[in-house]
Amino acid sequence: MAAFTAFPAAAQTGPVHLRVGAHAIGMMSRIDPGIGDRIETEPYLTQSMLLGHVSLAGGTFELAATLDLEGLTLPDGELAPGNAGEGYVDKRHPHTYMHELMATVSPRLSAVDLTISAGRGFAPFGTDDPMVRPFVRYPANHHWSQILERWVLMAALRRGPLSIEAGLFNGNEPQGPDDVGGFDRFGDSWSARGTLRPAAGLELQGSYAYIESPEFRSGFGLDQRKWSASARLERALSPASTAYLFLEMAETHEYADGREAFIFTSVLGEAAWRPGPWTSALRFERTTRPEEERLLDPYRSPRPHSDETIIGATRWNTVTAQVARSFSMGGSSVAPFIEFSHNAIEEVTGAIFDPVAFYGSTSIWSVSLGIRIRAGMQHRRMGRYGAALPAAPHDDDDMHMTNRDQ
Amino acid sequence: MTQSTRLALALPLVTLTVLTACDKNPVANDTPVDPTVPINMPTLGRGLEGSRFTAEIAVRNGFVYTTTWSQRFAQGNTVFTWEAGGVPFLADSTRIEDATTLGDVQISDDGNLLVVATERVPGRIVIFDRSRTDLLVELSQFHSPETDQGVHTAKLGRVGGRHYAFLSIDPGNNEPPRLVIVDITDPANPTQVFARAMGLPFMHDVFVRDGILFTAEWDDGLGIWDIGGGGKGGTVQDPVQISNIHTVNGNVHNVWWFHDPTTGEKRYAFVGEEGAGFAVGSSSSGDIHAVDISDIENPREVAYFHVPGAGTHNFTMDESSGILYAAYYNGGVRAIDVRGDLSVCPDGARAADGRCNMRLAGREAGKALTDGSPTVSIWGVALEGHRLFASDMLSGIWVFDISDLER
Repeated sequence: MAAFTAFPAAAQTGPVHLRVGAHAIGMMSRIDPGIGDRIETEPYLTQSMLLGHVSLAGGTFELAATLDLEGLTLPDGELAPGNAGEGYVDKRHPHTYMHELMATVSPRLSAVDLTISAGRGFAPFGTDDPMVRPFVRYPANHHWSQILERWVLMAALRRGPLSIEAGLFNGNEPQGPDDVGGFDRFGDSWSARGTLRPAAGLELQGSYAYIESPEFRSGFGLDQRKWSASARLERALSPASTAYLFLEMAETHEYADGREAFIFTSVLGEAAWRPGPWTSALRFERTTRPEEERLLDPYRSPRPHSDETIIGATRWNTVTAQVARSFSMGGSSVAPFIEFSHNAIEEVTGAIFDPVAFYGSTSIWSVSLGIRIRAGMQHRRMGRYGAALPAAPHDDDDMHMTNRDQ
Repeated sequence: MTQSTRLALALPLVTLTVLTACDKNPVANDTPVDPTVPINMPTLGRGLEGSRFTAEIAVRNGFVYTTTWSQRFAQGNTVFTWEAGGVPFLADSTRIEDATTLGDVQISDDGNLLVVATERVPGRIVIFDRSRTDLLVELSQFHSPETDQGVHTAKLGRVGGRHYAFLSIDPGNNEPPRLVIVDITDPANPTQVFARAMGLPFMHDVFVRDGILFTAEWDDGLGIWDIGGGGKGGTVQDPVQISNIHTVNGNVHNVWWFHDPTTGEKRYAFVGEEGAGFAVGSSSSGDIHAVDISDIENPREVAYFHVPGAGTHNFTMDESSGILYAAYYNGGVRAIDVRGDLSVCPDGARAADGRCNMRLAGREAGKALTDGSPTVSIWGVALEGHRLFASDMLSGIWVFDISDLER
């Protein structure tokens, strides 16, 4: 198995440890049917990122930065049936340029590991960002299971197998790739997460978040209360093969003036097996999402809304399978892959939204063929900082099993 | 599978099961105190149109006009014209390019003009000549930077001999909601005369009568403005606020100022609350609030009409009979007797805050499409003669006989 750990990509001078990396996926996706019973085929350069990490004073101070270039390479989003968020529907939205810029301080305490993190990044809620999981296609539950691209102030405490995090952040989600948020709403939302690692490679997570008006910048939209629970297992099966299992459940309750308006749920399971340079991975997902008014571009919904209504809700039952083969070249790797998805759509609010009329079928197939390119440092986890990260020494290489070159 | 693996898989399931079990809603006792049973308004006919979600409705001279909302099998960019002398049938359709939703349609008091509001960018109004009732002829469109985010509703009114359209404008990502007033006295050359940020977070609708402007400003409540008839020196170009009231639960969506021709009273303004939780055909919430404006500088809410499991949308009035007809989405159509003193009711119909629950007080006079079969989502209602027309987002229009409610 080729391993990035051999690639230093670092300039270590005295107490300063600098590492950089890059990541991108070039691919062609075909969706059958897209909206209006049309077959859609589009090329993408997706998940294009420049990564940086600075460690000072033996890790007492760390700075993690991710410059996401999807605003340039993916301005109209990426076809992804079932995805919804930030005004995109059945497409994944491009992330903001300033995806992460988080500083972490680690006071040296004897009994516990305590870190304070601040900057723009992930709130302590839910599970890892899909970008560091085995699949290219985002699941439909991205906005139910992660809270990202916010100004965050958080503390993480780890003792033995248990870590606890809590953080304050701004509730408003980005309005476009160049949106850097602003501090006027900082602190109107909060989240907390507990993680238990009872055995090597095993991680249990539970978290709660209150988010004020994520979809309405001025702060007067529906509020969200979110729950997430997950289990994650990574094990080496042999010196040359690893296995990964992941199960998560998430609920998002939307409230208007304290009164519950909508509930959306998600159950998702992933498994991956990596014998040598090969990876095979399988994902099942069952997620509900709102069906909203669409704009002249049917892959877009208005933000902000003009009132507090939706058309209805649909449940997306999705199976995704991927096979990839990694080739290492010095400190870089390329991994050709093919990924299939099948979406089965159910209307769950009384047959008001008719998937057959809208898409042409309740069954949508998609296939993506492409190459994942990595160079230098990669994120070991995306969505955790400081003491919330696993303490195991093998994780210090800034790589993680699920993110290793496939 | 190892024990730790089983634990990992079971923990999330147990957690969410417990959370789900904790989610219970209390059920209120809402048995009417007054035993008066609302009559069922007989159905005279219906016109079917299912390609688009039907939205607002207007009627004049036996012709019904409906707009369309959002996207169903086709985009909500079409105005349908129905001949409704008998059983309604589609006579014509008019598509408006670059529109995703046509949320409102209004006919001028002289019947000569029909005005349609368009959403989203580029928001505008389209003014039609309807002197040939079966054929809409476009006279003009009006768009300005202040209307660009989308015109959610448009209402027509005359003040000082001039004809105006009052436009409620959607908020944008970095644009506030607004009220825009356009002079359409020369309908071929509409002119903007007023624009102001208004509403929190939405500016939703207005009602204009006797030089008084009522503004439905969502969580900013109901605004009452002098625009020429309030004695405060206000004009259409420079409205002067008389008062404002925050009705219970906010979400002020629409308003009607009731002039009772039998008594001469102009005491009540009825406010529609559009609650959150609306999904087409399956759920809605929000009450009708009765605001006593006999002291117009100090309005106060005295009564409300609540339907369990449904919420109100647009409404109209048969003022001669003192009956308010309200669209109630999945709750069908309700007819409410609003004549008399609405602040008086039996103790069992009075809420803890002193307001009268008009339904429990026996003021529900009539109803239609309330049993859930067929599934309906009633957006708006319009009156002509002895007939009430209701727009059903799911199926087109319904026609009901209201003769038994006339007095």
